Amino acid sequence: MKSKSPTIKIIVLLVLLMLTFVYILPIYVMIMNSLKTLPEIQQRTYLAFPKQPQFQNYATALFGSKDFLIPMRRPIINSTIITVTVTILAAFFGGLGGYYLSRTRTAFARVIFVLVGIALYLPYQTVIIPLTTITARSGLANSHLGLILSYLIINLPLSSVLMGTFFLGIPRELEEAAEVDGANKIQIFFRVISPISMPAYASVAIIIFTQVWNEFFISLTLSTPKTQTAQVAMAMTQGSTISPYNLQMAAALLTVAVPLLIFLFLGRYFIRGILAGALKG
Amino acid sequence: MIDDCKSLHIKEVNEVISLRAQKRRRIRASIVEFLVFTLPLLVFLSILYGTLVWNVYVSMADWVSTAADYTFTGLKWYNYLFSQGRFWVDVQNNLKWLILGVVPTTILAIFLAYMLELAPFPGVESYVRTLILYPVAMSFVVTGTIWSWMYQPERGVFNTILGSLGIDSPLTYTNNPSTATYWLIVIFIWQYLGFSVIIIQSSFRTSELQEMVEAAIVDGASRLRILFSVILPNIRAGLLVLVSLLLINTLKVFDIVWIVTRSGPGIATDVLATNMIVTAYDQRLASAGAAIGVIIFLLAFILVIPYTIYALRKWFE
Repeated sequence: MKSKSPTIKIIVLLVLLMLTFVYILPIYVMIMNSLKTLPEIQQRTYLAFPKQPQFQNYATALFGSKDFLIPMRRPIINSTIITVTVTILAAFFGGLGGYYLSRTRTAFARVIFVLVGIALYLPYQTVIIPLTTITARSGLANSHLGLILSYLIINLPLSSVLMGTFFLGIPRELEEAAEVDGANKIQIFFRVISPISMPAYASVAIIIFTQVWNEFFISLTLSTPKTQTAQVAMAMTQGSTISPYNLQMAAALLTVAVPLLIFLFLGRYFIRGILAGALKG
Repeated sequence: MIDDCKSLHIKEVNEVISLRAQKRRRIRASIVEFLVFTLPLLVFLSILYGTLVWNVYVSMADWVSTAADYTFTGLKWYNYLFSQGRFWVDVQNNLKWLILGVVPTTILAIFLAYMLELAPFPGVESYVRTLILYPVAMSFVVTGTIWSWMYQPERGVFNTILGSLGIDSPLTYTNNPSTATYWLIVIFIWQYLGFSVIIIQSSFRTSELQEMVEAAIVDGASRLRILFSVILPNIRAGLLVLVSLLLINTLKVFDIVWIVTRSGPGIATDVLATNMIVTAYDQRLASAGAAIGVIIFLLAFILVIPYTIYALRKWFE
């Protein structure tokens, strides 16, 4: 339904211009100022290019200095360990659970589906006190396991529904053919369904990865100095310890680099995941 | 003859045995299937709902220090919350979030998605998608850090830009208690707009709707008319999904407030989620904090009912 009217062309161009400004500005400010010296920042020429790009700002943000007391190296490693583990486990178990939800039509499956549906949107505030108690009592608080388990429990409903949505789109004839050949459900799942669902696994992995990497509330309450995540460290640069803007922006860029690169290069899977999450298939 | 009989008998017995074996094999297979496909999901769901029930119990107990106290006190802590002015500030702010975080985002998303359908430029769609969707990959912690710098009244990016254009900006953004929440909501809209456009776009793209639009164009209906009388009534499912997701996300809002204003100035931008963490972890009133958690859950539960019914129908159709 493309339009040829010149008024629409003008409106579209104006809107595009505005959108470009509004959406480029924050990330432009972050990147440009992460490369400046402190005196340059104090001149308040925020939109200007850096005179001499200060790439060592990233090293300072990573390893810390007297101006920047929150080295991001350890938190980024922590976030990587936690997020990668949760992503792999959530995608694996989500595939199994999603297969069950998409292939079973019993009343029991409906009950499970409703429970999963509500759990998808369970506010973290509702479970955080028991989670804190469990991780503290079981001694998991000082290892990554506490956060990994908490994130896994919280994200499994989402990954199950996402995988299930994709499985619903796979024609049943494929499985029926394998059944005739005498394969059981488990063989069918691992040898027939899983191999052709790799793009779906990629979408789910990207969605879960981004969600867990960016999660703040749970890691703020559950992480200890040893397991502090990138988001919590980033929040500290904003809170009690005031950091110079150039180093703060360098730390911000380090914090968003991984999910942002994933989005830029694998945006297709990302969008497919979002749509599956909205149950639009 | 006897041999024949014998072999026949053996055959029958074998058949019975193999039938039994088949049945047993089928039962064993379904047990294994249950263990592999259903059990992990069930276990994790039980833990999740277990913590939910546990939290409900904590909200009715008397846990007020670091040591857990499970003495049943009924609705004591709920009454305590209702008697606090701060709780009602939260309710007001959460209402602002619910309305202003959802309605403008949805309208803007419909407008942009429709514009992309009409736009006669090649490549415009992938450009806009990347442009407005990238914030989805960023955390609110980072977005909030950047925006709180942009919002700074004296040294901030916005007022500096306005100043260099010769405008002495009177705006103090999140420093003004009466408007601070609105400026926070702007960040939310900025972050969620791309996500919303994607969902609306996908509901435009059904073949039935495209045919109806083509028919309306042939009939000479105006673009605006087509939007209001053909498209909007036919994307109700997409709208339900989008509005539900936005409602839940504005109800749960925590990160933006915590990072940008930390509930301030004073408690002007406080919301239920930030109050929960302050109550439970700073003031050590675990039971009261749990009660806020239960209240957020009940509100969320009410908000997702229509969506869950829709999803259930769609899934098992």
